[in-house]
Parts: sequence; structure tokens; C-alpha cells
Amino acid sequence: MRETGLLSLEAKKRHARTKIHGYYEGAFKFTRPVRLDDDSLSVYLIHVGGGYVDGDTYESTITLGEGAELAVTSQASTKVYKTPSRPVEQHTNIQLAADSVLEYFLDPLILYEGARFIQNTTIELESDAVFFYSDIITPGWSEDGVNFRYDWVRNKLKVYQNGKLVLFDHLLLEPDEELEGVLQLEGHTHVGSFVLFHPNATRELAERLYENVYESFPDVRLGISDMEDGGIVVRILSDRTQTIERIISHIHTFARGELLDKGEISWRKY
Amino acid sequence: MTNGLMPLLQLSDSQFPSGAFSHSFGFETYIQEDVVTGTESFKQALLVFLKKQLVFNDGLACRLAYESMERDSPEGLLDIDHVLFATCVARETREGNRKMGERLAKLCMELYPSPDLSEYLSWIKKKQAYGHPAVVLAAVYHSLGIPKESALETFLFTNLSSLVQNAVRGIPIGQTAGQKILLDLQPYVIVAVESIMGLCPDDLGAGSPGLEIAQMHHERLNVRLFMS
Repeated sequence: MRETGLLSLEAKKRHARTKIHGYYEGAFKFTRPVRLDDDSLSVYLIHVGGGYVDGDTYESTITLGEGAELAVTSQASTKVYKTPSRPVEQHTNIQLAADSVLEYFLDPLILYEGARFIQNTTIELESDAVFFYSDIITPGWSEDGVNFRYDWVRNKLKVYQNGKLVLFDHLLLEPDEELEGVLQLEGHTHVGSFVLFHPNATRELAERLYENVYESFPDVRLGISDMEDGGIVVRILSDRTQTIERIISHIHTFARGELLDKGEISWRKY
Repeated sequence: MTNGLMPLLQLSDSQFPSGAFSHSFGFETYIQEDVVTGTESFKQALLVFLKKQLVFNDGLACRLAYESMERDSPEGLLDIDHVLFATCVARETREGNRKMGERLAKLCMELYPSPDLSEYLSWIKKKQAYGHPAVVLAAVYHSLGIPKESALETFLFTNLSSLVQNAVRGIPIGQTAGQKILLDLQPYVIVAVESIMGLCPDDLGAGSPGLEIAQMHHERLNVRLFMS
């Protein structure tokens, strides 16, 4: 079957600098790499249609060679519309060779009335590879003002470290009478997540991260815990995309400072 | 050979040292935050816990593990074990399940040994598996010849029963109120078994965001009755 959008991106380190190769087809594109103020290399993913519709399939591969460093983001949110016959599927495979660093921060996912969306993201880390990631899932505007008009979203993030499954973040949101209640979204509409893997992402760092975030956002419902093998997971509930984006950016800046010895990232997209 | 009733009664007894006595799996956070304050709010939370957490995680894992053994392919237990561990993003709950799983595997090897359980325990000892009560009990139920649906019903009920016992101590609520909740939830347990039978392996491990946050917060509670 032909994908609606196909993208392959490879970053390699040559003479202390990261170089990008790759190709795209259909509705997917990426920009030429942009070097940011702090010398980080960034790439922007673009969807050239208005949004994802019935039966669309998207396939992306991102590969970082040994020691390569890359920051990837998107140019706009991902909008999924009605899927009367087949759900939209998006598969992303990321391979990070030893000592490479990928910062992967896509814009929010917006699910409109009647949307069904399957997203599988798989990351394979070799020794000491670093991975920063976030996602935000939000219900789209509906004509009658009701928040949850999408059918369901199934979001799976699998992280393997040298072949061993170390995180499987599996979220299934299916609006029903309980979705907004206790244990589920607890009165909120938006779910945000931040995941990081770094050899120095210890329990102690997770603890300091929590204190740091709590100090800046005392009123937001969020949780932070550490995985074995140098992973930290943050889960956020809110009603506003901007709030979650501010928290994610805050955590990203903290993690960059603590783990990469870099300052705040300034994406060239606004 | 019995019809399996007595082993099921034994395995489900609140005195059975499964370790569940020490874990609230996030409920203690809700109690301290005044979200769960009494019988009604606890019952509602427990119902959602059954329909979302137990159905998509422990319950489905128990069914899939049982079916692996039916197919005589115990190596399927390893995948289930790994998914259960990696999908649990709150450390205390993940560790709690791991410790309970290991302890239960050792105990059940003494009481109801079987080749599948022995293999699972050896994987746990070799650190190829983490250990999880759902997998251990699936092995025990299967080796005793308990039909799958009855096994799932027992498994879900046992989980609810231990959470009710913990709520009696933790909230607290009255013993009678607790037993009333267990009675009221019985029809929902039957529905939950049907739900589990209708899921596919791909559904395993779907989490509840609010519960995950409550389980994560438990690490930072000042006064704790439970280990998770």
C-alpha cells in the first residue's frame, strides 16, 4: 500500500558536525536543517495538506548515527478529522546510535469529531543515546461545543534500550461517561507527556525536576516518576494547550541545562 | 482432585500472603487529597479501576498468560511480563507488582507447583522476567484446570477484595459498607470478564492518566499507610 506521507531522515556526525540526508513523499516534507543560536541542528516536519483524513497512513523513519545530535519539531499541530471507514495510522521508527542525541518535540495532536487515530512510535536506543520527547493530545472544537467528539485515540510509545523494552507508554482515550472522571482525565480535557532517556537521568534528578516544576506550576495536575535504565516520565492533565506547552518547555529547558549543558531551545518557527 | 473451589478460596483469602495488603496502587493519594472520602466516592473510583486498570492491564494479562499456557507456549509469559513492567510508569506501583509477583511465584511453587510456574520463577530468578501477580496466578489457575472465565472472575474479585480491605483501614469505611461494595460490584466483574475476553493482545497495558499521576504522587506523600 502507498502511504499518504512518507519520510526518512538520517543524521550523521562528520568532522564534529551533524549532517542531514533523507527523502520524503506525498503529504510529508521536512525543511532544510537550521542551525540554532546555540549551534544545535534542527529540522522542521511539515504536513502539506490541511490535516489527516479517513484511512490516511503515515510512515516516518529517523536515524541518528553515532554521536549525531538533532532537534526535530513540526511546523503546526496534527489535526485528525472524521474517519468514517478506516482510522488514520501514523508509524514512526527512530533509531539512535551510541552517544547520539535526539530532541523530538511535535506540536499537539488535535482530534476532531468522529476521529480515530492510531499512533505507534518506536525508539531504539543504543548505549548512552539520549532521547527527549513530548506529546500533547487534545480534543478539537466541535459545532455543539462539546469537548469529546472524537471516537478514540490509541497512542503507543515504545522505547528499547539495546534491544530491551524499557518503556511502553500506552494511552487509549475513548470518550465515554467515565473519561472525564476520577482515574481518567479528572475534569480535564488535555493530556501531555514528557519522556526523557539519558544515562544520568537518575531518581535524584527526577526528584529535583519535580520540585522545580512544582515551584513554577503549583496548580497544575502533573506527576513525575523515574524508570529503571535512566528514564523519566512526566504526565500532565490540563484544559489548555498553552499551559502544557509552557510546562513541557520548562522541563525541556531544565533537562537541557542538567543533562546536555545547553540553554533553552529557540525553535525558528513562530 | 477437588473441583478447584478450595484452592480458589485459599488463593483469594484476604489472609493469603500475596503482599496486596501493603499496596493501595494510588488510592492512598486519592484518600489524602480528599478525592476518595467515603463509601460512595471509593466505590466509584473502584469501579473505574476495574473497568480501565484491571481490564486493560492485570486482567487482560491474566487471560493472555492463561492462553499462552493453553497453547503450550510459556515463552509468551515473558512478553506479557515485560509489557506489564514497561507500561507501568509510576515507580512504586511497578516495584510493588514486581515484588508481589516474585513473592507470589515462590509461595505458589510451594503450594501449587507446575512446570509453567517453575519456568516463570526461574526466569524471575535469572532476571529475564520481572515478576507480576497476574502471570503467576494465571499459571496456578491453568495448572489447576480452572476454566478461563472462572479464573478471570476470581482474579478480578480478589483484586477488588484486597483494595476494599485496604479502604476499610485507609479511608476508613465500615466493614459492612466494604462488603456491600463488593456485592454491588459483582455484576460489573462479570461484565469486566466479558470485556477482557473481547480485547486483543494489542490492548494490553493501556493506562489511565489520572491514576498514573496519583500513583506517581504517592512517592511524595508525607504520611503513608501503604507502599504504593
